[in-house]
Amino acid sequence: MPYPAFTVDDFCKDPDFIRWVLTPTEESNRFWQDFMATYPHKVADVRNAVEYVKSIRFQEIEPSPQDMARLKQRIWNDIDKSARNSERLTHPFQNVSRQEIRWYQRPYWAAAAVVLLVMSVGLGWWAYQANAHLTYETAYGNVQEIKLADGSTVTLNANSTLKVGDNLAGSSVREVWLTGEAYFDIAKRKGAKFIVHTPEAKVEVLGTEFNVNTRREQTNVVLNEGKVQLSTNDQSTVVMKPGDMAIVSPKNRNIQLKRVQPDLYDAWKESYLILDGKSLPEIISSLEDTFGVTIKLDDQQLTNKTLTGKLRTEVVEDCIDNLAIILDAEVKKSGDTYSFR
Amino acid sequence: MTDQLTPAQHIRLWNDFRQGSQDAFSQLYELFSADLYRYGYNLVRNRQLVEDCLHELFLHLHDSRAKLGPTDNIRFYLYRSLRRRLLDTVARLNKLDSEDYIFDKAEFLVQPYERSLIEEQLVDQQKALLIGELNKLPKRQKEILYLVYMKGLTYAQAAEVMDITLKSVYNTINVALTTLRVHVRTAFEQRGALLSLLGAVFGYLTKI
Repeated sequence: MPYPAFTVDDFCKDPDFIRWVLTPTEESNRFWQDFMATYPHKVADVRNAVEYVKSIRFQEIEPSPQDMARLKQRIWNDIDKSARNSERLTHPFQNVSRQEIRWYQRPYWAAAAVVLLVMSVGLGWWAYQANAHLTYETAYGNVQEIKLADGSTVTLNANSTLKVGDNLAGSSVREVWLTGEAYFDIAKRKGAKFIVHTPEAKVEVLGTEFNVNTRREQTNVVLNEGKVQLSTNDQSTVVMKPGDMAIVSPKNRNIQLKRVQPDLYDAWKESYLILDGKSLPEIISSLEDTFGVTIKLDDQQLTNKTLTGKLRTEVVEDCIDNLAIILDAEVKKSGDTYSFR
Repeated sequence: MTDQLTPAQHIRLWNDFRQGSQDAFSQLYELFSADLYRYGYNLVRNRQLVEDCLHELFLHLHDSRAKLGPTDNIRFYLYRSLRRRLLDTVARLNKLDSEDYIFDKAEFLVQPYERSLIEEQLVDQQKALLIGELNKLPKRQKEILYLVYMKGLTYAQAAEVMDITLKSVYNTINVALTTLRVHVRTAFEQRGALLSLLGAVFGYLTKI
């Protein structure tokens, strides 16, 4: 159908017409001006159609410049990283050359595996014996995955304790007590609540994934999936949404809520620490908690540094060495204390 | 309507990018990231999720640039990729938990338009009614209107972005226009008569 026979509706439905209204160009302006001059009886229809098209406006939320800058930095960082990976295969802290050696060909890995095997057999036996009130404990530098009787999975970070209540599979309230840090993947059960008690608070859930950290005299809960309710010992309560982090400390019994990126807080499960803009003191606290070592910063300028990227936290020596390389600092070790300069 | 590129410019930028130009990649980011963010945020009301998916999307573009096909409308191409990525992620999250999700609240909201002829003509009450009617449309229908009337995609492109048939796009456009017509007609027709007269005079003047 040619334009002179168009109704208002026809104009509104014509992609070329819509494009002219949205992004007029010299060419399209000329075309429609000519058209209106040639067919004056269509001028009203064209004007009306323009108004119709313009009236379909949707709200748009403008991202903040900070958000866009951060996103850009994340993208460009990762691009640089993958470029480095493919170019410098032998760079010291990429560990690529070492990966070619199978883990069991490395003596201390084999030893660790044996120790772990003996430990888990022992722990299993002991757990079997103490069936009534199971307690799991992890040593420094050790992460353990625990399958609970109700089908839930708990990944217990280093230097942490998890006590499991009686008859988990059968009772209507499933309860565990945590000190340290753990990631919970709770199996859903009709009507059966799951409660994680910490020294400062309790987390009630119906089936979900979240991270709980009770170190440094405060409880941090980061929710990955689903919904949980967090209550402090003096009964203030919040309901958390995915991506929320709640902080409860004895000093401040009010629950603080903030939005976070959950995977930054549970990377320890894969033996990584994600640094993304964390300050060096924060990173050090986290490493001290994981390895049970003391880390000192002798150079005060280091305290202001923030780092971005991923740090492998499998072996304490490698981890500290890599950190030193990133910081361009020297490390001195005496006993369990590492000093950066 | 942030990009004013012609189809030829789209093709050139996209080809430069596919041939490995880092400059072209930066330009793509500057031209389209904020616009993609707005679209994404209308799809799922979750900033973190939108940001994460954009992060993945641009990395994927960068890493597989040599394998991408040609396009003369980059925005259409990116909308489609972002939408798929977002919905896959939301579906994965929802599968793990049947609890209600915040993403359900995502909305395309029609907003009051500004400085328009209609505004002069309609009383506030009527205008509110019109916006209310448009907002009552199902979310997917509003998304079609958004893509066609705000972002200037063709019907075929909108259909492909949303993985629906061309026919649903046509139907939705018809529904929306009927809604508009019902609520605006009276005011328009009065105005229209005046405009026709002006038009006739204008036409006459340009001819002599």
